[in-house]
Amino acid sequence: MRLFAARLPASARVAGAVVVLLWILAACSPLFAERARAIRLDERLQAPSWTHPFGTDDLGRDLLARVVAATPISLAIGLVAAGVSLGIGFAVGATAGYFGGAVDLMLSRLIEVMLCFPVLFLLLALAAFLPPSPATVIAAIGFTTWAGDARYARAEVLKIRELDYARAARAMGASTPRILARHLLPNALPPLIVSAAFGVGWAILAEAALSFLGVGLPAPAVSWGGILSSAPNWIVEAWWMALFPGLALFLTVAAYNLLAEGLRAVTVEGGRSA
Amino acid sequence: MIGYAARRLLLAVPTLFGIAVVVFVLLHLAPGTPGAGGADSARRMSGKAAAEMRRLYGLDRPLPEQFGLWIGRVARLDLGESFVDHRPVSERIREALPYTLALNGLALAFALALAIPIGVAAGARPEGAFDRASAAVLFALYSLPTFWAALLLQTLFAVQLRWLPLYGAVSDAAPTGWAGLADRLAHLALPVTCLTYGTLAFVARLVRSGVAEARTSDYVLAARARGASARRAIWGHAFPNALLPVITLTGLLLPALLSGSVIVERIFARPGLGRLYFDSILARDYPVVLALSLLSAVVTLAATLLADLALAAADPRVRDGAVGPE
Repeated sequence: MRLFAARLPASARVAGAVVVLLWILAACSPLFAERARAIRLDERLQAPSWTHPFGTDDLGRDLLARVVAATPISLAIGLVAAGVSLGIGFAVGATAGYFGGAVDLMLSRLIEVMLCFPVLFLLLALAAFLPPSPATVIAAIGFTTWAGDARYARAEVLKIRELDYARAARAMGASTPRILARHLLPNALPPLIVSAAFGVGWAILAEAALSFLGVGLPAPAVSWGGILSSAPNWIVEAWWMALFPGLALFLTVAAYNLLAEGLRAVTVEGGRSA
Repeated sequence: MIGYAARRLLLAVPTLFGIAVVVFVLLHLAPGTPGAGGADSARRMSGKAAAEMRRLYGLDRPLPEQFGLWIGRVARLDLGESFVDHRPVSERIREALPYTLALNGLALAFALALAIPIGVAAGARPEGAFDRASAAVLFALYSLPTFWAALLLQTLFAVQLRWLPLYGAVSDAAPTGWAGLADRLAHLALPVTCLTYGTLAFVARLVRSGVAEARTSDYVLAARARGASARRAIWGHAFPNALLPVITLTGLLLPALLSGSVIVERIFARPGLGRLYFDSILARDYPVVLALSLLSAVVTLAATLLADLALAAADPRVRDGAVGPE
């Protein structure tokens, strides 16, 4: 594992460190919860200063504390939703790729159907029509974004199943579940991890977009997208309300994507030794 | 070619059916319909609207019959009436369409016009100075949330510098003639920028990796050996091959642009399709929601089909099934 990290490009190692720091920050965020909730109408819409480094919002709440307090929600929803998406995508894609023929033809149509819809159209409909809760947001993201993962998993399994070790396992009479679990899954894992890392960045953005549009997490849970949702109302008076929560979002998504690119450079493009 | 086209068209039939099923499922998840359930969601809909829904979609009939009823109406291009203002859905879509076409058309044109030269220049010298610099910028654009970019651009160009209007599609006292056109273009500048950069980053990276791979291939080396200039070898030989995956994905850029339209049209208060869709979701105007979901997916499917056929026309290997999309 240590060797593996050493082979990552420097940019990806920095990005990995940023991701670790973000999760540490998320673990410490309860310390800021009280400060994030404290409404001080006499201190509303204050520009960044030493007491309020990110400024204050329209209710006089400290923006730095609010951004930190929202970290665990944004990170966790992104991670779980990406996991759901990857799970569905891998199940569908691997089944299609392994069995081929009529199964592949049908599942490939299903993937094609999902890719035809604008993701945000389906996301908005699910998030707005189902009862508002974190589970709804996670399910909405998971059920609308898996098609890309599925296409990727399908191509990967199609490639692997014709390799010598998979043929050998079949020739020795290994059962289908055994071949899938013991031979295909471990070998498809590195590209899947890359897909997962990209997926987390994507899912964090999707959750932020939903919360920004007002159909994301119900109160009192607040994510970065939720903080940003009130920024347009104060765009003339308070630029800091847009700048800082968005910066946290951008840096997080960029860190996950950079990590994913580094992982791809090592595992997928740099041979299959990982 | 005809065989390939026939096979591809035949495969689109089940996809079209699948699209209809997804939209039908969407209808049944909607509050106030039998599938949604829950006392809370039922309360969100007035008795009159619920009765209208039952009549319109035959919600008291068995599921297959409902589906047949709905498909039959859609096939006759009857999209129903909006719950909000009781005008035909098709009329409301026709009103919003020009705003979205202008926004997305310009965004797509700018994205391709910038992405192709950037991608080719970067791919022609992998790891060169331009490649490294453009890769960093494209990566940042790729990770930049649209709504944050929109807010920052508004702050800088509309609030601080006052060069461009903050939002809207046209000024209140709109001038006519050329001045009117300039006014509309000024209102388009920021929204088009927001919608362009994501596609730009995606396509430029695609072109770059295609050109970088093709430049060491036998046919490019052969072209150089025959005395073609480096420029001619890249643009005349490497680039056409790098363009093939771009053609395939052009159809799929459409849903991405429409997703972006929802956010961009909302922030910049433009009365386009994305805005109409979002407002209809909030107002529970199901006929509009269903019609827009269905239309966007069907148009994307048609665009993907055209892209695949164009690819097959350009590349004999795709026709013969040796390589290609799926």
